[in-house]
Amino acid sequence: MTELILQALFSGVLIGSVYALVALGLALAFGAMRIINLAHGELVLLAAYMAYLVESRTGLEPYAAIPLALAVVSAVSIALFMLVNMIRDHRELNSLILTFAIGIILTNAILLAFASDMRTTTSAFLQDAVSFGDVYAMRGEIIAFALSLVLMGLLWWWLKASWYGRAVRAVSSNRGAAMLMGINPTRIETVSFLVAGALASFAGVALYTMSVVQPAVGHALTVKAFIITVLAGVGSIPGVFLGAVLLGVTEALTVTLASSALQELAGMVLFLMVLFLMPNGLFGARARRG
Amino acid sequence: MLETRNLSAGYGAITVLWDVNLKFRSGALTAIVGPNGAGKTTLLRALTGLIPHTGAILLDGAPLKGKTWDLAAQGVVMVPEGRLVFRDMTVEENLCLGAYPERCRGDLSANLERMYSFFPRLKERRSQLAGSLSGGEAQMVAMGRGLMAQPRILLIDEPSLGLAPVIVNEVFDIIRRLKAEGTTIVLIEQNTRIALSVADDVHLIRTGKVVMSEPAASVDLDRLHDLYFAREGQGA
Repeated sequence: MTELILQALFSGVLIGSVYALVALGLALAFGAMRIINLAHGELVLLAAYMAYLVESRTGLEPYAAIPLALAVVSAVSIALFMLVNMIRDHRELNSLILTFAIGIILTNAILLAFASDMRTTTSAFLQDAVSFGDVYAMRGEIIAFALSLVLMGLLWWWLKASWYGRAVRAVSSNRGAAMLMGINPTRIETVSFLVAGALASFAGVALYTMSVVQPAVGHALTVKAFIITVLAGVGSIPGVFLGAVLLGVTEALTVTLASSALQELAGMVLFLMVLFLMPNGLFGARARRG
Repeated sequence: MLETRNLSAGYGAITVLWDVNLKFRSGALTAIVGPNGAGKTTLLRALTGLIPHTGAILLDGAPLKGKTWDLAAQGVVMVPEGRLVFRDMTVEENLCLGAYPERCRGDLSANLERMYSFFPRLKERRSQLAGSLSGGEAQMVAMGRGLMAQPRILLIDEPSLGLAPVIVNEVFDIIRRLKAEGTTIVLIEQNTRIALSVADDVHLIRTGKVVMSEPAASVDLDRLHDLYFAREGQGA
């Protein structure tokens, strides 16, 4: 029993790191534009299917699909951004409806193109088991975890030290003042959408190598990313990582101790508990803004 | 030199500023004074492209065009009131963002050191979040951030707003030093007494019109206050 729980904790941390990438993309676009992109999970899904496409057609490792995933997801992100940008009134509310609809269209496009079968990597290299004492992981999970940590580090550095990254934070913090600093907010919003799309591309390919994907996963991922964002609040990368790991572990424990049918429900229960007990989020003591 | 010709501006159908003709001499400090609602902030917003205008704004004889961020890149830099710092970024990050326009990015560390020599208190607080600063310190961050943009003309909005008198004096000491260094400054200020003490030229705006323009040295404070409060119906 203890081994089972340890194994669940370990798997939860590994998948949580990929959830963190998804949530960070959502938070980035929200920070700069004040809109919640409800099609974000579908962008991740799109990247996962690019990995499937490349693997099934060429026999290469799924990570060879990253350039293709980046190109496709960037193109869709830009189209999405241009559509959202056409909204003139009540952008917060109308963008929810618009992005939700785009998500449905993307899910159905994927359904048409790839059918509703579950897909996962067939790479023997990635599916090889690696043991760490009493717990096991697939090599693909370890690679995905390491990749996620590296990307989070890069994102942290970019937001902290690069001109564009700092400008993204400035626009998130105070749009009017950012304009007075010579920052073109529309350009910065485009950049933040593209970076969110890049994170989604890596997350999608990673997800394909460690989990099963099917068209409905996109919507579930958006919900997960939203839960994590509420758990952690936007603005702190370590906070998002911890929130994502908490969600991953909760799901994995539910699957181990109860049933995999309850996996999505567990996330929702966690979400409701946090909303009731800690309405400012897990790390919300310093809830500011507004 | 910055110049406005028949500048009118407002919000939608409401015109707030009417045919304003002003000259801001290079290297001088020009104070714009006037009561609440006179149109001072509207003037500033028009000069920085935050609201549309009719008429012309000329910088060294060439018309200024573009959005707010283009104007900032051309050196028309506004220091908004201290509340408008980036609250969830550190003091140093706030200062660095001032140097965002590409022509200002070279030699960032030397530029920062210059700011810290101006505002030694900010050096102590460099890694503190700007949202945690006192009102006076936040005002210094806003000014330092504006100076990092190497302005050709610096527009300062109500630097005394909400500050304790002793802090106001400190802020104006800094404005005097900037002026002594030859920075071209436009100062928007409600506090006429302190504005007169630093200004070279003074313009009084009331109900959207310039009602007085004079060198600060020849301004009589009593007469200015008569105009300011529209006593005796002068200038109406």
